[in-house]
Amino acid sequence: MLKNALNTLLVIALTLVLSACASVAPWQRGVLAQPSMALALHPAQAIFKEHIYISREAASGGGAASGGGCGCY
Amino acid sequence: MAARQVVVVVAAIKRTGWARFLTVNKPKKPRIASNQSLQALTLAALALPGLMLNPACAEEDEVEFQYGHYQEGKRNLFTTINTKNPIEVDSLLGKAKFSLSDRVKFAFNYTQDTWSGATPISTAPRVANSNRPILADTPSGQTITVGASPYLNTQLLVNRNYIPLKQKPNGRIAGQDTQLVHILSMASPETRKQGDFNLAYEWDETALDLGGGISVENDYESRFGSLNGRWDFNQKLTRLNLGLSYTNSDTSAILDHDSSPYITKSEFLGQIEQSGAMKIMHGNRQDWSSSLGLTQILNKEALFSANIGYTRSTGYLENPYKAMSILFVDSEQGGNRLNGELKAFLEQRPNERNQLNLGGRFIQHIGLTNAALHVDYRFFHDDWGINAHTFEADWVQPIGRTWTITPRIRYYSQDAADFYQPYLLSKQAFAKTVYNEASGTFSSIPFDARLLPQNFSSDQRLSAYGALSGGVTVNKQFSKAIGLEAGFEYYSHAGALKMGGGGEGSYSDFDYFMANASLKVNLAAMASPAFAEQGHHAHHAEAHHHGNPAPAGVMFGHLLNQAHAFMVGYRFMYGRQSGDMLHGSQLATDRQIVNGGCGSGVQACRLTPTYMDMSMHMLDIMYAPTDWLNVMVMPQFMDMAMNLRQLAGAPPVQPGEHVHTGTGHATGGVGDTGLYALIKLLDQPVHHVHLGLGLSAPTGDVDIPLRRNHQQDEGFIHYGMQLGSGTWDFKPSLTYIGQSEAWSWGAQLSGTHRMEDKNQSGFTFGDIFQSTAWGGYGLTPWLSTTVRGVYTDQAAVSGRFNATSGVVNGVLLANVNPKAGPMDFPSSYGGRYWDVGFGLNARVPSGDLAGNSFGVEWLQPVSTDVNGYQLDREGALSATWQLMF
Amino acid sequence: MKQHIFFSLCAVWVLGFVGLIQAAEIGDASPDCQIAPHEHQASYALKHLQGKVVYVDFWASWCGPCAKSFPFLNALDQEFNTKGLQIIGINLDEQPTEAADFLAKYPAQFTIASGDNQQCAENFAVKAMPSSYLIDRKGHIRHIHLGFKPDEADQLKTLVNQLLAE
Repeated sequence: MLKNALNTLLVIALTLVLSACASVAPWQRGVLAQPSMALALHPAQAIFKEHIYISREAASGGGAASGGGCGCY
Repeated sequence: MAARQVVVVVAAIKRTGWARFLTVNKPKKPRIASNQSLQALTLAALALPGLMLNPACAEEDEVEFQYGHYQEGKRNLFTTINTKNPIEVDSLLGKAKFSLSDRVKFAFNYTQDTWSGATPISTAPRVANSNRPILADTPSGQTITVGASPYLNTQLLVNRNYIPLKQKPNGRIAGQDTQLVHILSMASPETRKQGDFNLAYEWDETALDLGGGISVENDYESRFGSLNGRWDFNQKLTRLNLGLSYTNSDTSAILDHDSSPYITKSEFLGQIEQSGAMKIMHGNRQDWSSSLGLTQILNKEALFSANIGYTRSTGYLENPYKAMSILFVDSEQGGNRLNGELKAFLEQRPNERNQLNLGGRFIQHIGLTNAALHVDYRFFHDDWGINAHTFEADWVQPIGRTWTITPRIRYYSQDAADFYQPYLLSKQAFAKTVYNEASGTFSSIPFDARLLPQNFSSDQRLSAYGALSGGVTVNKQFSKAIGLEAGFEYYSHAGALKMGGGGEGSYSDFDYFMANASLKVNLAAMASPAFAEQGHHAHHAEAHHHGNPAPAGVMFGHLLNQAHAFMVGYRFMYGRQSGDMLHGSQLATDRQIVNGGCGSGVQACRLTPTYMDMSMHMLDIMYAPTDWLNVMVMPQFMDMAMNLRQLAGAPPVQPGEHVHTGTGHATGGVGDTGLYALIKLLDQPVHHVHLGLGLSAPTGDVDIPLRRNHQQDEGFIHYGMQLGSGTWDFKPSLTYIGQSEAWSWGAQLSGTHRMEDKNQSGFTFGDIFQSTAWGGYGLTPWLSTTVRGVYTDQAAVSGRFNATSGVVNGVLLANVNPKAGPMDFPSSYGGRYWDVGFGLNARVPSGDLAGNSFGVEWLQPVSTDVNGYQLDREGALSATWQLMF
Repeated sequence: MKQHIFFSLCAVWVLGFVGLIQAAEIGDASPDCQIAPHEHQASYALKHLQGKVVYVDFWASWCGPCAKSFPFLNALDQEFNTKGLQIIGINLDEQPTEAADFLAKYPAQFTIASGDNQQCAENFAVKAMPSSYLIDRKGHIRHIHLGFKPDEADQLKTLVNQLLAE
C-alpha cells in the first residue's frame, strides 16, 4: 500500500517535472508573483481550519509543529 | 549502474560548463583598476537576493485579526431525543509579522479558542439503551422526557452468536439488533490559549528560522519548538525546505465526576491522582517531527511543491475522556439467550506512533480568467494501521482589482486503526460469583484482563470513514493597507464516504461548518511613497504626534483630525479578582457570607469564589468622514474563568444533594459590539475637547448554562460570567486633553446606561459612571509615561435570571438556577472603586513600522466598596496597539 | 532505476540552464540595447549615453523590492542628475498597463524605459529582480547589484559618487 503510493507519487512528480522543464527568466515571473499563486493562500484561515481538521481526523498535519492543544473534543 | 550514472552526469557537466557554474560567483579580474569597496560589495551582491521564489509572500509587515466559528450538527441517538447542544468552538487569532532589520523577520501569533457541547465518550449497541431519557415527574403527576443522560454500565441479552437482541417492553425478544449508537456527554466551556513566535534570519539564498510556543488549557499543556531551513538555488527556480520540530505535552485531565465511577481504570492506576473528590489523569507525550520539501517553478505559469514528513509520537497518546464499551458475556451460560454486561474502560492506545506524510501541490495559472488552480494531495500512513488520503482543490478567481473569490473542495478518507472497535466483546463474565466448598463461602472472581486486547479505542477519529467538504473564501482589498476576508466551509463526515467502501456505520455520521472573518493590515503600505504622495498621511500622523497619547486604559482618548483618515487598533484588557471576600469595604468572613450572602436556613451560601479572571480582546476600527467627526466599530472577544471553594460553616448538604467544588467554570466567545461617534468640540493648540456618543449592541451571550452535573440540572452560570450585557446600552463620554511641550494632561467623564429594563435572560447589569484624570510626560519624542486616577461607580444587577426548569434527582423543578453563593445573587454586583494607573506609551518614530503606537497601563486598586459580598480586586492591565493611515 | 533516470535528467536540465547564461560581468563593456524612454517618442541605443555615469535598473510592477527602491532612485537622481548621472529604469512588465498603474502609485523622477525590453534583459542576462548595473563614463560595467534592501542604499550612493569622480 505504502510502496504503491510512493511509486505513484514518484511517477507523478517525474512526469510533471520533466514535461515542464522550461527555464523561466527572472523577469518572466510576474504571473508567479501574483497573490493567487502563493503556496499558502489564506494563512490565518489555515491555522483555524487545520486545528479543526486535526481534532477531527487521524491524519495529522504536514509534520512541522505549528501548534499545540489536545483537540480532545 | 552507478558508474554509468556518473558518466551521464559528467557528460552533462562537460557540455554545459560546470567549471563555469562554479566560478560564476567570482568576479572576473576587472580590466580597469577597481577599488576595494567595489569588489567587496560585488561579491555579496552576486548572490541573487531580492527575488523570492514566490515573491507574492514577499514578507511584508502585517497584522491580522481573525474570528472563527465551528458548529457541529446534532448526532442521531436513535432511542431518545437529543437535547444536547452539539460541539461549538469560538476562535480568535491575532497575527503580527514584521522586519526587525532587512534580514531579520519576527512573527507572533496568539490564538484562543473556547469550546463546549456534547461529544461522544463511547459507543454501544443501541439495545443497551445507553443514552437514557432523563425522565421527570411534573407537578401534575405526568412523567415526561426532558433530555438524555449517558449510562455506561448496562445489561443486555445476546444470542448464541453474541448478537444483541432487542426486547419489547414486556420482555419478549423482538429479534436481533446490530445498530450501534454513540454515548454522548456534555462538556462545559473550556478555553485554550496559545502563543507562538517565529524568528527568521535571511541570507541571500538561504534562511533559517526558529519557532516556539506554548498552548495552555485546563487539562492539557503543550510546549513546542521548531527549526526550519530554506535554500533557494537554480536561479531561485528551486527551493528546498528542511524542518525539525519537537512538542512536549502534559495531560492533567479531571475525569468526569458523573461518568468516572462507571469507568474501569485499572490499567491507569499509576497515572491517576486522587485530589479530594476529583480524579486527575496525568500523562506526558512527546512528538518529534521532521520534514523535507521541494518547490519547483515549472514554467511562467506553474509551480509544484512536494514534501515528505515523518513524525514520531511517544507517551500517553490516549484521549482521557474516551471510554471503550466492553460487552462481557459469560460463554458458560446455557440456553439461547445469554446475559451480557456492558462495562466501560478507559481507552488504551499504544504508547508509540510513527507517522509518515507525503504530499504534493500543483499550482497552475489559468490565463483565460486570470485565475489560479491549486491542487493538493496528501498521503498519510502510520503504524497504527491508518492510511489516509486528502485531496484538495482551490480555484482562486480575482474579480476586478480588489475582489478575490476562492471556491474550494476537499475530500478525506481514512482506514481504521488496527485496535479500533465500536465496542468489544469479551466471552467471559465481568465478575463471577463462585462457591468455595472448602471454606463454605462465596467469592467474586473478576474478569481476566489478559483476555482483553492490549489496545482498544472506540474514538471515532480512529474509525474508517470519508469526509467531503466544500466552501468559499472571499477577499476584498480596501486599500493597499486594509483587506478583509470571509470564509465558509461545510463538512460532512460519513462511513459511506470512505474510499473503497467498508466505512463505519451511519450511526457515526455527523456534519459541521466552519466560518471565519478576518481583517488584515499591511504595515508596509504606510511607509510606501503612495501614502506620502497623497500628503495627508504624513500630515495627520504629525497632527496626532503633537500630543502624548492618552493612557492605554482610556477609551476614546483621541480623535482623528483629518477627513478620510483611518485607524486600526487592538486593545487587550485583563482584570483579576482574588483573595479576600469583601462586604462593602470590609473583609467578610465565611460565617458572614454564609449568613448574609444568599438566602436563610437551607438557602444559605455554600460556595464562594476564590478568583475570577477576565480577559477582553477588542478590535478598534475608526474612520473620519470629516475632520470633526469620527465613527468607530469595536467588536469584542471575551473569556472568563472562576474558581469556587466551599464556605466554612456552610449548612449541611441535603440528603441526595451534591455540592461540587474546586473544578471551576470558564466561559468565552464573542462579547458585545460597540458603535461610537466622536465629535470634536474644541481644537486649540493646547486644549482639545471631544464628545463621544455610543451604543453597545448585545452580541454577547447572556444565557450560558452550567453543565448538568451530579444528576442535576444547574441553570444559568453566574451573572458575571456571561459574555455580554444582553441589553442595548448607551455609552456617552466627554474627553478633555491638554498638551504643552513635553507635558500632557487630560480628563474624561464616561457612562454606560442600559436602555432596556431587562435582557432576554431577565436581568440588566447596573449603570456605570466613571471619571478619570491624568498627567503625562514625554521622556523622549517616542516614549511617554502617564499617571492617572480613576473613580468608578456601578449599580447592582437588577432583575434576576428567568426561571430555568430542570431535573434534579429525577424531579422536574420549575427553577434550578444556582443560588449556591453570592455570585449567584444580583445584589452582589457593582460597587464604588478608586484606582491609580501607571502607563507607558511608545510610538515607532521611523522606518517601515513608523506610526505604530503601543501603550500599556496597570490599574492598581486603592479603594474598593462593593455591593453585597464580592471578591477583592487585584488590578487590571490594558495594552493597546494603534496604526493610523 | 526510475530514480536514477530521474536524477540524471534533472542534473542535465539544471546544469544546462545555468550554462546558457552569458552574463554581463564586472569589467565588461556594457551590453547595448534600444530603449524607449517613457516621455519621448524616439528610442535610442544605450551606448549613446557614453560619457555619463549610467545607472541601469531593471524592474517590474510585481516585484516588491523594486517598489522599495524607487524612493531611493528618486533621491539619487535628484542629487546627482546635474553631476552627470543618468538613471534608466528599464521596465520588464509583460502588460504595459501594469507598469503604468505602478508608476501612478510610485512616481519616478528618473527616466523610465517602457515598451518591450526583453532584448535588453537578455543582453544583460538579468539574474534577479530588481537588477542594477552601474556603468562608468567609458561604458564599462563597474558594479552589479541584485535585489534591493533599504540598508544597501548608502553603499550604492558611495559607489555612484566614486564613479562620478573618476
